[in-house]
Amino acid sequence: MTQPRQSTASVVAPLLACHGLTMRFGGLLALDALDLSVASGEILGLIGPNGSGKTTFFNVLTGLYRPSAGRVEFGGRDIIGASPQQVCRAGIARTFQRSRLCLPLTVFDNVMIGNHLRLDHRVSFNVLRRGALRRQYDECVEAARSLAATFNPRLSSRLFEAAAALDMIDRRRVEICRALVNAPRLLLLDEPSAGMTRGETRELMDDILQIRAARGELTIVIIEHEMNVIERMTERCVVLNYGEKIAEGPFRVVASDPAVQEAYLGQAVAEA
Amino acid sequence: MRVPLEADVRAPARASDLPVAALGIAAVAAWLWAFLVTDRVAILGALLAVAAIAFVLAQRSAVAKRYGLALARRPRMGVAFAAIGVLAVAAALHDQPYPLLMLCTVMLFVVACIGLDIQTGYCGIVNFAGAAFFGTGAYTAAVLAKQGVPHLFGIVCGAIVAALVGSLLILPVLRTRGYYAALVTIAFGILFSTFLEVNNALGGPQGLKLPGIDLFGWRFNRDVDIGGASASFYVNYVVLALALALGAYVFSRRVDRSWIGLTFDAVRLDETAAAAFGIGIARAKIIAFTLGNFLCGLAGAVYAMMQGFIAPNNFTFGESLILVSILILGGIGNPLGIVPAALIIIVVPQKLQFIQEYRFLLYGILVVLILLFRPEGLLPRPVRRYFPAPR
Amino acid sequence: MDPGVLAQYAFNGLMLGVIYAMVAVGFTLFFGVLDVIQFAHGDVVMAGAFVALATYLALHGLGVAVPGLVVIVVACAAALAMALLGALIARYLVLPLRAAPAFNTLLITLMLGSILRELVRLFYPNGSNPQPFPRLLPTASVNLGNFTLRLDTTILLVVGLATIFVVNLVVRRTRLGLAIRAVAQDSETARVMGIDFQRIVLVTFAIGSALAGIAGVVYGLYYNEVNFDIGLLLGVIGFSAAVVGGLGSIYGAIIGGFLFAALQTIGSVALPVSSAYNNVFAFAVVIILMTWKPTGLIAEPTSERV
Repeated sequence: MTQPRQSTASVVAPLLACHGLTMRFGGLLALDALDLSVASGEILGLIGPNGSGKTTFFNVLTGLYRPSAGRVEFGGRDIIGASPQQVCRAGIARTFQRSRLCLPLTVFDNVMIGNHLRLDHRVSFNVLRRGALRRQYDECVEAARSLAATFNPRLSSRLFEAAAALDMIDRRRVEICRALVNAPRLLLLDEPSAGMTRGETRELMDDILQIRAARGELTIVIIEHEMNVIERMTERCVVLNYGEKIAEGPFRVVASDPAVQEAYLGQAVAEA
Repeated sequence: MRVPLEADVRAPARASDLPVAALGIAAVAAWLWAFLVTDRVAILGALLAVAAIAFVLAQRSAVAKRYGLALARRPRMGVAFAAIGVLAVAAALHDQPYPLLMLCTVMLFVVACIGLDIQTGYCGIVNFAGAAFFGTGAYTAAVLAKQGVPHLFGIVCGAIVAALVGSLLILPVLRTRGYYAALVTIAFGILFSTFLEVNNALGGPQGLKLPGIDLFGWRFNRDVDIGGASASFYVNYVVLALALALGAYVFSRRVDRSWIGLTFDAVRLDETAAAAFGIGIARAKIIAFTLGNFLCGLAGAVYAMMQGFIAPNNFTFGESLILVSILILGGIGNPLGIVPAALIIIVVPQKLQFIQEYRFLLYGILVVLILLFRPEGLLPRPVRRYFPAPR
Repeated sequence: MDPGVLAQYAFNGLMLGVIYAMVAVGFTLFFGVLDVIQFAHGDVVMAGAFVALATYLALHGLGVAVPGLVVIVVACAAALAMALLGALIARYLVLPLRAAPAFNTLLITLMLGSILRELVRLFYPNGSNPQPFPRLLPTASVNLGNFTLRLDTTILLVVGLATIFVVNLVVRRTRLGLAIRAVAQDSETARVMGIDFQRIVLVTFAIGSALAGIAGVVYGLYYNEVNFDIGLLLGVIGFSAAVVGGLGSIYGAIIGGFLFAALQTIGSVALPVSSAYNNVFAFAVVIILMTWKPTGLIAEPTSERV
């Protein structure tokens, strides 16, 4: 099933296209003239040793860093230099490597942070028109409940508990709900397996695939160290090393690439 | 680990609980009356002990929780009870100006602290210049009253000018975070009182005199005659301060229990994540900072007209720290906690004159102890409930 | 303007700069090891000055009047007392709040500053009024036109610079300094390497606070007057100086201190308003500088880990 996807990718204009993307921190070259494109509906794996620039790539895409050079087009629009807000509005949502839920807030509140762009934020509306706010609120509760239920029916019954009360896998689920509630076109997952057991990871990946099947056109870029996750989830992956793309293609092909093996092995030797 | 919900569904609350809850309010009012009226150290100590015991029991007992819930589900009823309670206390104290003055002062400080809570507790903007914004309102009201501007207009102007002065600081506040933002407000707080000291046009260290409030011919500083019984003119101010305190409370509650409150929380807890989800950090901070300074200025303007006299040493950096102490003692982010905290911090030193001189020291120690041993304050902030749970 | 007068201003500015730099170095050291701002640091300077004053009065009461000896004993007393105070602050107020939000540390040190001010105001005899500080240094002077070079201020300038130099040397050249820099670089790794984290933090706070104590003595000897509320201004300016120079860098703190003194001196000379507005001007400069360069002129090359 990987083959036909790849062929469509080459015909249709890509959803996300980066050209010569470069990010410099002082003397450190975190991204080195990266060319990368993601087709609409694709799941792309982004792998590479620690410090190879994967998270930096996400941070540049989402407007947290301004790249030193290069172009990024998303859905045909240039999003270089856009603020995080504008990137979000364009339809890119993400999760973070380390959990960034607001732990004192409820599950519902956390999901609604992701729904920010659809909520009415006028002071007069929120303070004076409580009836209208109530209607919007009720709709949101319904939306959050059904979204949470696609992951786990138990989660949807814990909507009004503080996120701090959840275990790791449920927190991850909430984070993904928060990223999905606004129906983005591109979802960036930064190491979703971090801090979870293999069984939990498998469960979470099943959930993601299920949601994607239900949603249809959802494009995903996933950073992972768990290679079996990459193998199972992605049709194509890109390998970064020192900010440079050193290989690209289906996981099986990439994994046997000598340059990739050296990049990982080199690091393993350095760590030993 | 289970975080307590404000309207915990496990305890059934019934409409028939309301009369009992009203009784509770009556008890609190009676306590407040005694607290304001006593001038004996032993009685004051006993009252504080009773309050402490009642507080601990109420936190443990399911019955108290149920009555609390009955009120939480009818927020308007709660506000009405509070208003009736304060008015009853004011009626009982009608011929004692000094306790009435204290009651007003507490309520006006509640307004200012609610403003600071919107900034610090909700949105995470540290503001150590609360007294400066309070003072901006006060001085604006004083200057305008001297020019013969109608008092209501002068008071509203006080609030607006405080918000405007705040907007001068908005750029530094937006560009800095954490310690740096704190430094900016500290510098402004000290700058403000130093400026007042050296500026002769504003009375210098001697300060300014103000007339009592005159609202469309209703002269606040004239004793009130109600059906033959004469009452101190401070009753007027109690009514006004009560209206402002309840208004500020309802307003801050509504702000908190809305998408705006959620946005503030997101900005406070994680700016980076908030921005990634499209939240406008600057807009949220501007709204919170402006609303907070507006409330501080409003309280300051009324306070100035009630006192009839203001001087720079009412608005020093130390006073700003007192406002923050009230916030920390009450429980940051919970406007309800501000009320008992303001009562303790403002009234106790007035009662115990020998403490008065030591109050900055004692508050400093109090806050240090709270931060070390109970950083969530008297009434910790509950998780958000946008609307009262169904009855 | 007359060159003599100008030189006088420049010299006074240098003197101010040394005091600010001494305070700023403390801020920068604390921030280095703990990522914490100790907002009571300015009041530690004030407390140091009062300890020195009390020591002097005690010595005076005992009849000790050897000028050189008195000044050394007084300075040592202030430095030691403040070193102890600094270590206590770190141990009982700052370290216990490491896991709490930064706001709590900020508040607890701010309140500590308030406590120190009030303790002096309430319990030092007649503490609410400015106290005369004795002239303990030889007051010989040389007149060069309108410029008066006084021996005592020259000594203060040299001693102040020397103290900063010594602290810098300790941090750069000794084993202890190596440990401090290791903790500042990465406290986790330092701990794994067998460095006693808490001890290093306490020692760093002791060093920074001792420096503040000496700054208090220099302040007293220079102005011949100390007041319970001088710490507020010194703290705010010291912190700003450290920020302007880039928090965590000792050289930056020194540069920041002198830069601030220069600004203040220029302000008092060039501004057309009365000198009563000096402090208003100083605080306004703090606010403007923070707005202009929110993390300092020499920005720290950090990027938030996302």
